[in-house]
Amino acid sequence: MTLLDVQHLTKNFGGLSANQDISFALQRGELVGLIGPNGAGKTTLFNCISGLHAISSGKVVFDGEDITALKAHETARRGLARTFQIYSASGDLNVEENVMVGCFMRTRSTAKAKARAREILLELNLSDLGNALVSELPVSAQKRVTMATALGSGPKLLLLDEVAAGLNPNEIEEIMINIRHIHDDLGVTVMLIEHVMELVMNVSDRVMVLDYGRKIADGDPKRVAKDANVIKAYLGERFVREHGEVLT
Amino acid sequence: MEKLRSAFDFSDFPPLDLSIAGIVGVFLLVFPIFPHSAFAMATMIQFLMFSLYGMGWNTIGGYGGQVDLGKAQYVGIGAYTTAVLLIRWDIPFWFSMPLGVCFAVIWSFIIGYPLFRLKGHYFAIATIATSLVLMDLFGVWEFVGASRGLEISPIKYHPPDFWRLIFKEDIYYYYVILGFFFLGILYVNGFRKSCLGFQLRSIKDNEDVARSLGINVHWAKIKTYAIATAFVSMVGSFHACYIKNIEPEDTMSLDISILIALMAMLGGAGSLWGPIIGAAVLIPLKSYLKEWLGAAAGLAGIDLIIYAVIIMLISALEPRGIWGIVEKVRRRRQR
Repeated sequence: MTLLDVQHLTKNFGGLSANQDISFALQRGELVGLIGPNGAGKTTLFNCISGLHAISSGKVVFDGEDITALKAHETARRGLARTFQIYSASGDLNVEENVMVGCFMRTRSTAKAKARAREILLELNLSDLGNALVSELPVSAQKRVTMATALGSGPKLLLLDEVAAGLNPNEIEEIMINIRHIHDDLGVTVMLIEHVMELVMNVSDRVMVLDYGRKIADGDPKRVAKDANVIKAYLGERFVREHGEVLT
Repeated sequence: MEKLRSAFDFSDFPPLDLSIAGIVGVFLLVFPIFPHSAFAMATMIQFLMFSLYGMGWNTIGGYGGQVDLGKAQYVGIGAYTTAVLLIRWDIPFWFSMPLGVCFAVIWSFIIGYPLFRLKGHYFAIATIATSLVLMDLFGVWEFVGASRGLEISPIKYHPPDFWRLIFKEDIYYYYVILGFFFLGILYVNGFRKSCLGFQLRSIKDNEDVARSLGINVHWAKIKTYAIATAFVSMVGSFHACYIKNIEPEDTMSLDISILIALMAMLGGAGSLWGPIIGAAVLIPLKSYLKEWLGAAAGLAGIDLIIYAVIIMLISALEPRGIWGIVEKVRRRRQR
């Protein structure tokens, strides 16, 4: 069953086309990786889907409803959660309170939000950080807190924007456990932008590749990794010319 | 029910804070029993009034991070509503005050809706502008006495008049405003732990993140702005009965707006005790400076110089004010 259906999505910033005619569908329960070189338009695509940017043309259907014109807080209320690549917590809220903000989307009761936040922190192995200020935590823990916060809003679809960037192998392992838990045990459909190939190739059912705002590949991770267009996008045209025979 | 319990629940503060708060609370209750000068009494009432202004400001300015420098316009709306209704139609305080709050909140929606499209300094400047425009309008509006203002003459009434809040002795005013003060603390204590309180703190951190968590940022700000306005307007109504002589120039001036914001910022924006601490420092300082230096203080603008220095110190050293320093020291000790 289709959860998210993106049809011919185009986003222009003045003369620059950040997303061009992108179409894809996410099935319920899928875990899809979104990769591409820097500036390919991955985060813009997330912003367009979640309603942070108004799209120039195209259509976004979520859970059977046309959400193209909805604002970010309205898509969130329909079950579309996301994390941000750069998360600057000014330090007013501690970890538990941060997660509670997410939980407040589903309840107005402080006691219920608190109980739910504790559950989520426990599920993501973050319980012992509850009282720490987010700004005092290492980056990896901060990223996991943003995942916990997004999870607090009880999403059907979770868009993760580079949650593993700049982390060491142990931390990536922890993140991977969290993502697997969110997807496998909680049944949340996940789409993740990632540069850490080890993570993407390991967890994704399917990988999509963007380059210069266009979708250039979509499919099984192993096949995508060998796709000539993808290699060209990452390593350049000359590399493919010189090593072309190796690839085929 | 849960809201009410939450308002009375101070359990997340360390015992030391609570004992200090308890001692201060008891002191405020018994203060009038001890011998005191009329001047000290007036200062205490000013302190309580400005604490309340500061608490109101703190909801939108402290927890929400929206620096509002136009609160004086709501002091004016509250004060004028009460004064006009009393003088023209003999409507007592306890009716005119809620009505004043209604007017103020309606006005806050009207200007809040467009103003919250602005951010940061632009928002602050726009609030100053609307406040000054309203002050000038009241200054030429004959119905409310134009620039001469209004005077409630106590001779017409028989003090102590609890309905109209007309008293001869300050002690009555003191206990009325003290009641408001305790209610204000309870309200803000509930507010900071409420859904809206959390949403606002998230908005202060990062608006895009707040949006992605289903928070209607614009609406949350407008709602909180209305709460802050209600606080300020209530105390404005009290101000009219207490001072009895209101003019646009002194109830709605920019000085008042800045002083209100400064209370909360000095004490600690975004904390429950902040505005009270700020008012406890600034109001006596202001009153006694005037007393000691007499007219010379006003001439030399010494109070303005002091405010300016405080603003610079806050922004340079600790943006979260005196309470920010306390919390910093505490965190360091914990480690």
